[in-house]
Amino acid sequence: MIALVGGVIMIIQYFVPHRISQDVFNYYTSWGPIVATFALILGVGSVTRVHMYKIRMKSTNWAYSLAVILPMFLMPVFALLPGSLLGGTDGPGFFDFMYSRVQIPIQATMFSMLAFYIASAAFRAFRAKSLLATVLLVAAVFVMLAQVPIGDLAGRWLPNTGQWILRFPNLAAKRAIELGVGFGMLATSLKIIFGVERGWLGGAGE
Amino acid sequence: MNFWEKMLNIDRRWIYLAIAIIVIVPFFARMGLPVVPTREVESIYNLVDSLGPEDAIFVGWDFDPGTEAENQPMGVAVLRHAFSRHVPVFITAYYPLGQALAQQAVGGIFDTRVPGNYAFVPWTEWESMRAAGFAGRDSLETAWTAAGHALPEGARGWVFEGVDYAFLGYQPSFYLVILGMGTSIASQYPTDTNGNPVPEMPILQAHKTLRDVDLAVTLAGSTTCMTWVIYGTSRVGLRVAFGVTAVMATDYFPYIQSGQIVGMMGGLRGAAEYEVLETQGGYTDVTGKAYRGMDVQSLAHIAIILMVVLGNIAFFAGGFNKKTALKARR
Repeated sequence: MIALVGGVIMIIQYFVPHRISQDVFNYYTSWGPIVATFALILGVGSVTRVHMYKIRMKSTNWAYSLAVILPMFLMPVFALLPGSLLGGTDGPGFFDFMYSRVQIPIQATMFSMLAFYIASAAFRAFRAKSLLATVLLVAAVFVMLAQVPIGDLAGRWLPNTGQWILRFPNLAAKRAIELGVGFGMLATSLKIIFGVERGWLGGAGE
Repeated sequence: MNFWEKMLNIDRRWIYLAIAIIVIVPFFARMGLPVVPTREVESIYNLVDSLGPEDAIFVGWDFDPGTEAENQPMGVAVLRHAFSRHVPVFITAYYPLGQALAQQAVGGIFDTRVPGNYAFVPWTEWESMRAAGFAGRDSLETAWTAAGHALPEGARGWVFEGVDYAFLGYQPSFYLVILGMGTSIASQYPTDTNGNPVPEMPILQAHKTLRDVDLAVTLAGSTTCMTWVIYGTSRVGLRVAFGVTAVMATDYFPYIQSGQIVGMMGGLRGAAEYEVLETQGGYTDVTGKAYRGMDVQSLAHIAIILMVVLGNIAFFAGGFNKKTALKARR
């Protein structure tokens, strides 16, 4: 009922430029982040419960749950520690240290490893086995060369061809996909608002 | 096992080693290949270039450290361009981690030990001039230098907090924040990340809502960039430009053609193109990290294309297209 009323009000409000309608909208956008902040507490509680259960039961890969729980609760504690613990009096605290010296390198490393996997996969799996696979392969070569300046050394025709692939065939295909996804989202949103789809309330399969 | 089969079954660690060498070597032996800007990047550059102190832009640090290598140079390039032209900048972040990355970026730009950077004047330091009455950026700079403040050697100019720049930072449920900023930026950000009162800042008094803002550049490694289009462009007509990773760039060409976004910087190449345009425009003396990274990316792309070609030669020359499966690989 809350989803139905809230959803319908927000749809109607979008098309009504009256001041009362705008006030409702402003009220909603002011409350939204506050509700979301409390939802964050709910999320932390839920994650904690799931991973604590895995740790207690010593289930498969339970040590990974420990790696989730410990930083999640230790980082807020680090944020409260003064910068003087690192030797300075007004320098960045231990939280900043953990962020810039641990979290950023970890995330950057994870993403960087993609280059190695892509190279290996390209060698082992990217085959011109059929006409469609060959078209994909040729298009990929042109687009890859268009993305780097070394492609310009062969002449402007090469990057221009790569850009043409992106601007026309790629655009047409993406637009078709986006339209399909858009209509799907519209249908799903209406189903949720009018209570036809209730899976998000939980209890699926019961 | 014949030659072709051995080749296809090569230990993948050799491939990893080859890529590692190809990625490291260009850092020591610069190629300096020319980067030709595309119209998708030129359109963003030209728009920022047409703005001045009476306008304003948003730069959204809507990514996390995973895509820092691609997104961070884009943000640095746009900030340098805006600061050069005294275009006021609001900085926001979709994620808490994005805020910290934005702080690192501006920290680098405000490091006056490096030539070509900008001298930062915090909000609290020019309080006395504010008390005397703010009468525009030019008069503020004149008063500031007349008060005995000299521009550090090599610095390109001053950046006054609250006039040239406001670091709004992260807020939860950012799509609601964008919606809210459509009617009032101050209502969503009563204070900035340093605790300074945003409603009192001259930058905000001149630009109270997103309708008063000329452009939002969102730097993203996920679909968060679409939030600016859905809640900014469609609702209040905000002009939006994307700075996205190379793998995402193909998704957003329809939005350029439809006019929903002004332009797009795609991956490190997009950032390098912006740096080249800035250098050509005289806003920076030298190109930045993205341009230097293009040598690495050029060789890596060539290496991957060579591997695809070699893999296909081995596959067909060995007649594996007619067999059911190769022997087990490592």
